[in-house]
Amino acid sequence: MSAPDFESLFRTAGVTGWLHAADIDTGREIGIGSDDPLPMASMFKVPLLVALCRQADAGLLDPAERITVTGAGRSPGPTGISAMLDEVTISLRDLAYLMIAVSDNTSADTLLARIGQDTINAMLDSFGLDGTRVVQGAGESVDSLGRDTGHGWPFVDPDDIERLSALDPARSNRSTPREMTRLFGLIWRDEAASAASCAWMRGVLNAQVWPHRLASGFPYDDVAVSGKTGTLPTLRCESGVVDYPDGGRYAVSVFTRSFSTALNQPRADAVIGTSARMAVDHLRR
Amino acid sequence: MDLVRHLRYFIAVAEELHFGNAAIRLGMAQPPLSQRVKRLEEELGVRLFDRSARQVRLTETGRLLLGEAREIVSRVERLHELARQGEGAVLKVGVPPDLAATVLAALVAGFRETSPDVRLAPAEIWTADQVTALAEGTIDVGLVRHPVNAPGLRFGQLLVQAQGVLLAAADPLADVGEVHLADLAGRELLMPPKEGEPGWHAEVLAECRRQGFVPQQVHEGAGLGLVLAGAAVAFGPKVELPGLAWRPLLGSPIASRVSTAWRAVTVAATDFSAMAVRTLKESAGMTDEGAATARRVSRRPGMLA
Repeated sequence: MSAPDFESLFRTAGVTGWLHAADIDTGREIGIGSDDPLPMASMFKVPLLVALCRQADAGLLDPAERITVTGAGRSPGPTGISAMLDEVTISLRDLAYLMIAVSDNTSADTLLARIGQDTINAMLDSFGLDGTRVVQGAGESVDSLGRDTGHGWPFVDPDDIERLSALDPARSNRSTPREMTRLFGLIWRDEAASAASCAWMRGVLNAQVWPHRLASGFPYDDVAVSGKTGTLPTLRCESGVVDYPDGGRYAVSVFTRSFSTALNQPRADAVIGTSARMAVDHLRR
Repeated sequence: MDLVRHLRYFIAVAEELHFGNAAIRLGMAQPPLSQRVKRLEEELGVRLFDRSARQVRLTETGRLLLGEAREIVSRVERLHELARQGEGAVLKVGVPPDLAATVLAALVAGFRETSPDVRLAPAEIWTADQVTALAEGTIDVGLVRHPVNAPGLRFGQLLVQAQGVLLAAADPLADVGEVHLADLAGRELLMPPKEGEPGWHAEVLAECRRQGFVPQQVHEGAGLGLVLAGAAVAFGPKVELPGLAWRPLLGSPIASRVSTAWRAVTVAATDFSAMAVRTLKESAGMTDEGAATARRVSRRPGMLA
């Protein structure tokens, strides 16, 4: 069976694409540019989620502990607490839920301040994921867009895109498609943290609300899709796991950079799903 | 013309005084039955039935000829019986007309091996017609699709066969490794005749609907011409035919369940039944019915939002 033609699929959707897909139980894999370092945008919230669970497992924090997020000084973002105005008192685990389900930046940065980048990177080292680094929070990443371009929203000028440090893996949170699928494999095999914590993380990742990327490739009632998206100007990605009705489970990570700088590109979102479907279909043959 | 066969049709209609009922009894459709009775009338140059009233009546001539016809038919039957006794017993078996030729061949060969003294006479009949044929003794044992509603029938071991989808080779879906029922949306479906396979029809169409495939039109038939033409898809076991592609269905949502069926217990019927289970497992990839796994429906956050 010849490998699927991912490149022409990506090209037709107006993007450059990177992909890695692996059968979680057999390790069978397929990919394109699987080991290229890429900015991971909001997908950095996944290693943060795992680190939170490991700290809870170690008794270093109580996931039900409630903290107050004030109205001032929030990380910018379109969803969750970032989009709200008033003071919120909420538990750590509910912040984690918001950070994954709707990609809330304020929830993420509140947890990041509590856990610390060093803890996350040390954890990634212990997993052997040294191509994955968390070097900034969500707020810093968003702020860098304005700093690099010298203006505010929107960022659609091609010359501006060239200047964005957030899109440079050397200066932003970064990973590779293969390391993202390995991280999801650890969560799905109960190896990333305690079995109870991994089960909880799977539930949270399954509650992510976005249907337009990975999930769009599997529009079937009996297939479950869990994951976390990441988005920056021209960068669209999602990593996650697809559960098949016969018990097959596949970790998939897709990164894309669109040729056009337009913000609305449904085909670029959808190709994350179609390429993932193609990859999983290949792994099942 | 096969006069004896036409006389049989005449007798059935004369006894039922209803073309539809007679057709059911004979295990055939009504239009060909009407046609054959008309041909017999042309051959004899008389009218046997008076069809002018709302109900069918025998004409005077018909009444006169009925006794003679019965006499001829029973003598011919006696002739066959004597001939059969000379060459050994016969087991009349009904099989679905869409049963793969290789599987039917394996059944015949298998039975020849286990019961060399009994000749197997297979007839291609759909499940509902097999039920009638079993009731009337036209066949001794059947191979039926479940669910089948027939009080008084006994069934052999239930066997299961996951069905895939047959597509034209040029169908874009032929490029993927496995097809989900929801992927078939917008296509037309070819099924065995609803009258012949009512249980299968209901079961398959309900499952399709549950999983996102409501066929624009359901064609009835056993030939795969419409599939070959790209005008419809069909469900079935794996086959390799030029111009067609077979793909497994994601999640194995459609499974055909078959068993042998009989009314009167005979040694030959029991032997056939046991042999059929073995043969269908070996040559048709059928398996014992396992515990049905509950279908999981994934919960996506948009569903109740």
